[in-house]
Amino acid sequence: MANAPMFARAMGLTTRLALYCLVSLALMVVDSRFDALTTLKRASTGVIYPVQGFLAKPFDFLSEAANFFTVHGKIMRDNRRLILDSQIYAMRLQGYDALKRENAQLRKLLNLPYPAGTRPLAAEIVRIQPDPFDRRVIVNKGEADGVEAGRPVVDATGLVGQVTRVYADSSEVSLLTSKEQAAPVQDQRNGLRLIVSGTGSGDQLEVRYVDMHVDVKPGDILVTSGIDAVYPLGIPVARVLQVDPPHQTPFARVVCAPIGEIGQHRHVLILNRANPSQPSGAHK
Amino acid sequence: MNADKPLVPQGPELLDPASTRLVVVSLVLAYLANLLPWPDGIHWLVPDFSLMVLLYWCIHAPHRANLSLAMALGLLADATVGGLMGQHALTYTLAAYAALSLRRRLANFHLSGRALHLLPIFFGQQLLNLLLGLAFHLPDVDWRYLVAGVAAGLFWIPIAHLLDGLTGWTNKMHIEPADNRASARAQIKSQNGARGSK
Repeated sequence: MANAPMFARAMGLTTRLALYCLVSLALMVVDSRFDALTTLKRASTGVIYPVQGFLAKPFDFLSEAANFFTVHGKIMRDNRRLILDSQIYAMRLQGYDALKRENAQLRKLLNLPYPAGTRPLAAEIVRIQPDPFDRRVIVNKGEADGVEAGRPVVDATGLVGQVTRVYADSSEVSLLTSKEQAAPVQDQRNGLRLIVSGTGSGDQLEVRYVDMHVDVKPGDILVTSGIDAVYPLGIPVARVLQVDPPHQTPFARVVCAPIGEIGQHRHVLILNRANPSQPSGAHK
Repeated sequence: MNADKPLVPQGPELLDPASTRLVVVSLVLAYLANLLPWPDGIHWLVPDFSLMVLLYWCIHAPHRANLSLAMALGLLADATVGGLMGQHALTYTLAAYAALSLRRRLANFHLSGRALHLLPIFFGQQLLNLLLGLAFHLPDVDWRYLVAGVAAGLFWIPIAHLLDGLTGWTNKMHIEPADNRASARAQIKSQNGARGSK
């Protein structure tokens, strides 16, 4: 009686379990080794995303209603601050046109190509993927808006991450703090080229495998070097916090804090490729 | 045909079979609960509602909730998270297998006893999930997600209480203490006696 099946069915429970386990494992191997299931994932996201948006609606409405009563004062304050800011920026911008012309001429002199022109596209973070393995967010701009996989994502302060998967009208951004992400950077102080990578922690980046005598000091600003043709030149990436001396390895490790306010804002900018017919920097 | 295969489902589900509609509706609601916009900071704390309801039905309606359903729900969860395909499918199937194997034993326990049995299953499912991620070289493992397994064990109690109420499932197989049984027998006898005298 010990081996008697619990209820009438063609296959024993254990046999079924073994079969399903094999199928699942095969799926996992196929998914991780080959990129075969991407279309399936895209299709499923197309179905699930609207449902999620619909579910979020009442909560969005509630939070908006709650905001309504406090937002007026905030707008007044912001407005006052923005007027001040705009005056400061207008002052700073006065020299900008001249600098731009001079820069263009210097580039021509050096015979360097223009950095890949970019067209910023504002996007809103609609969801944080609840994934224990990766730091990813979903933004509300996708293929329909011309987003391509691999484009850099920035906010007002610095680099945030990179578009890793594009869906029909949303896309997935891997944050810079994700362990798999890396960006080629340059020390602003001395032009030293490094590669900064995420650590998986929300507020820490690191430069691995640097020479033990490297000239990097706490407080240095690292900006993108533009060498990889993915990230354009000069986006602030990280501020150096400390340089750990070599410990059981021949390399030092530089610990930095990201400058972009990763995971603090709802809006980011995707730096799309500018239309090739438009010369970069043509906007006034 | 297997000779010792029971012809009809046995045990509590024979007394109160759960309707297919209730099973489907509860599973859909649980899936939608997973999709709700939970606050960003507490994703690792939110239990997997689909799995909780699935395991409830594995125990209380095994003729409806079987390994195939677990596999299908797991694939759905994989498609939702957008991670590794087959990862949740495997862990859901194993959890459902554990629940189905424990089913006979669990029917004799009250709510908290059942939850206590399920706690290691929920925790193990979450742990296996993370280990599979490690094995297949997903970038980074956030071990805080193990808490979700424990949370699932705790939140299973109110959910099971609700579903018990909806199905009318009571612990009929529970063996009562001897004196209770004697008094119950006396009550039945007195009722029979009253009917006989009419």
